[in-house]
Amino acid sequence: MSTNAPVPPATTATTPATTPASSAEHPWPVRVVSQKIAAWIARLGWVWVDGQVAQISRRPGAQVVFLTLRDPSADLSLTVTAHRDVLDAGAPNLAEGARVVLRARPDYFPGRGTLSLRADEIRQVGLGELLARIERLKKLLAAEGLFDPRRKRALPFLPGTVGLVTGRASAAEHDVLTNARKRWPAVRFRVLAVAVQGPAAVPQIIDAIAELDRDPAVDVIVLARGGGGVEDLLAFSDEALCRAVFAARTPIVSAIGHETDTPLVDYVADVRASTPTDAAKRVVPDLAEESRAIAVARARLDRAIGALLDREQQRLDAVRSRPVLARPEVLLDGRTGEVAALRERARVTVAHRLDRAGTDLTHTLARLRAVSPAATLARGYAIVSRGAAVLRDPAEVSPGDPLHIRLAGGDLAATVAPS
Amino acid sequence: MSEREPQPGYEQARAELATVVERLEAGGATLEESLALWERGEVLAGICQRWLDGARERLAAARESRDAGTG
Repeated sequence: MSTNAPVPPATTATTPATTPASSAEHPWPVRVVSQKIAAWIARLGWVWVDGQVAQISRRPGAQVVFLTLRDPSADLSLTVTAHRDVLDAGAPNLAEGARVVLRARPDYFPGRGTLSLRADEIRQVGLGELLARIERLKKLLAAEGLFDPRRKRALPFLPGTVGLVTGRASAAEHDVLTNARKRWPAVRFRVLAVAVQGPAAVPQIIDAIAELDRDPAVDVIVLARGGGGVEDLLAFSDEALCRAVFAARTPIVSAIGHETDTPLVDYVADVRASTPTDAAKRVVPDLAEESRAIAVARARLDRAIGALLDREQQRLDAVRSRPVLARPEVLLDGRTGEVAALRERARVTVAHRLDRAGTDLTHTLARLRAVSPAATLARGYAIVSRGAAVLRDPAEVSPGDPLHIRLAGGDLAATVAPS
Repeated sequence: MSEREPQPGYEQARAELATVVERLEAGGATLEESLALWERGEVLAGICQRWLDGARERLAAARESRDAGTG
């Protein structure tokens, strides 16, 4: 272990005035660089650190105990060294997974160029203190609005893919998969197995949620873990995890432990399922129930449209059975009678006129005959004419003129004799 | 009353048919007008019936394909 004396922090420049700035022509030797790093690290001084013991190695006979101290929310760790007496005084039964608060300062080992924290006081954080912290965190998150019902997103009615974050081959995984498939056989899952307790749990769960949140096919994420002791469920009250669940854009269903367990993530999640089986019911609809509802709706649809068509058919039949449409002959009957009557009237009128005309003709003939010259000619008279003119005086003609003589028995041609 | 005139919808055809029947029943039209009205009434009644028959056929076809699909 190094016993380097603390180097006073540089206040005005990044390199002490005694060393010229490095360059390709004037590089610093390793020992100078090492010394400068040690000086910088020492400037942090003593700090109180909160972390989780990921690994502890007590070598028999060794005076120094090595711890791997992890951040409970992130995949970060530091090596801590402590004297056995320090450990025995503050946390005699310290085991892996325990939460500790320790006072330490960073220590740089020039021999290997490594860094560790040297602790001179270690306190194990008891369950009571952990629960009290969770209560304080709960108030803080509530005040920030992470539990606000208005911020919760609705689950899709039928998700494309269900993301599932759970322990590998766990009962919780089995419960979610089995019950969801029973309700909706075609349900698709994307399952990411994570540690659900211990130091690695929180970072793995956060990563898994982020990965599923990025997957556009995943419409809902289920965070499931079976029942366990209060310590086993601590990861699900972690602040970073709660904030990751709040930040995710995909709706998240939490199903942690039993009905009575309420880790903080239950308050942040969009839906809190009491158990993994309950989560399966929340994320997919029941196929049989939906099919029944559709069948009922279809039957009502059929009845409604059937009744409508029947009603319309009756209306149409009623109109078509009206006499004017059914027997268009009625339109003609009256007219046919009218035509026959008119024709009869026309016939009678014409016949009457013909009769009268016949009578008129007889009378006219008689009158015509009465004034005819035929009777006079029959008595021996003759009509002499030249051309079209009837002769009344011999002076009207000259010798040699042709004459036309009409007798009762016929016509004669003659010529005026010379005088 | 050209055949090429776009076919009226069911409700339109039914309303016009009712008007035609009322005018025929009222009388007063010339014979030529009456015959034209009656012919129009027959055309309209045919349109209405084809609508109803077509609707029934579509229903039957939908039921058949549904039964074939789910059966």
